[in-house]
Amino acid sequence: MAAPTPIDPRGPRFNQGVLATALLAGFLADWRPVVPAFALVLLAGAAFGPKYGPFLALYARVIRPRLAPPRELEDPRPPRFSSAMGVAFLGAGTLAFAVGAPGLGWALALMVAALAALSATTGICVGCEIYLALARRRPVTS
Amino acid sequence: MFLVRGVVVLAILFAVALAGRLYRSWRAGVRDDRPAHPLVPASLLAGAARTWVVFTSPYCATCGPVEDRLRASDPDARVVKVDATREPHLAAAFSIRSAPTVLLADGAGNVTARLVGAEAVDSYVAARYP
Repeated sequence: MAAPTPIDPRGPRFNQGVLATALLAGFLADWRPVVPAFALVLLAGAAFGPKYGPFLALYARVIRPRLAPPRELEDPRPPRFSSAMGVAFLGAGTLAFAVGAPGLGWALALMVAALAALSATTGICVGCEIYLALARRRPVTS
Repeated sequence: MFLVRGVVVLAILFAVALAGRLYRSWRAGVRDDRPAHPLVPASLLAGAARTWVVFTSPYCATCGPVEDRLRASDPDARVVKVDATREPHLAAAFSIRSAPTVLLADGAGNVTARLVGAEAVDSYVAARYP
């Protein structure tokens, strides 16, 4: 199977920066709708590709044209896997809010916020590392 | 309550900054003195006096330029590329965590340098093969 088209790694980092900021601000204000809202934002990008993620699209259309070309490109699959993990955590957090466990809901959301902030500020993408670790273990078919 | 939440947010930001700093110092570039490497297999050395082993992955955009840089800078050495996803046992033996990771081996297979990332390769090569 051919590798997908490489992407500008600054796009996912911008997305993660927005995600971390929104979740932390939502936690500060105890505004719970931010959790399902960003679960949907991540889901759109992870399930359908970067152009369907609102902030990925914002980066691609508005911000990237104003920046210098990226020094390197990256495979889109690790950040998409990372986003899928974020969807799972935020989805579980949403469920926790729905069943009356706001502490658990915020704990899950803050884990996502912390990992997103780490990725946005340092480039260390834990979800991507998990994807790569899994990729190393599975049989190669191509 | 707002104060408690603010403290939690600050704690998270502090932890993120600390984790990033620790991770960067742990991964920082050149490690000439790691003693735990096994010998590079003779099949990779092929009798060369000096061999660069470039661990790559299908997702690595910088591995090709790194390989080219090594060939151009050190033409007397052998340069071999190893796809870590196709050689998982070799990657595990040398604790490869990211691509590109480059090992420099002498003729006996002893690893004399380990470089993680394109920037580490660039700085190492620039210092030794100006």
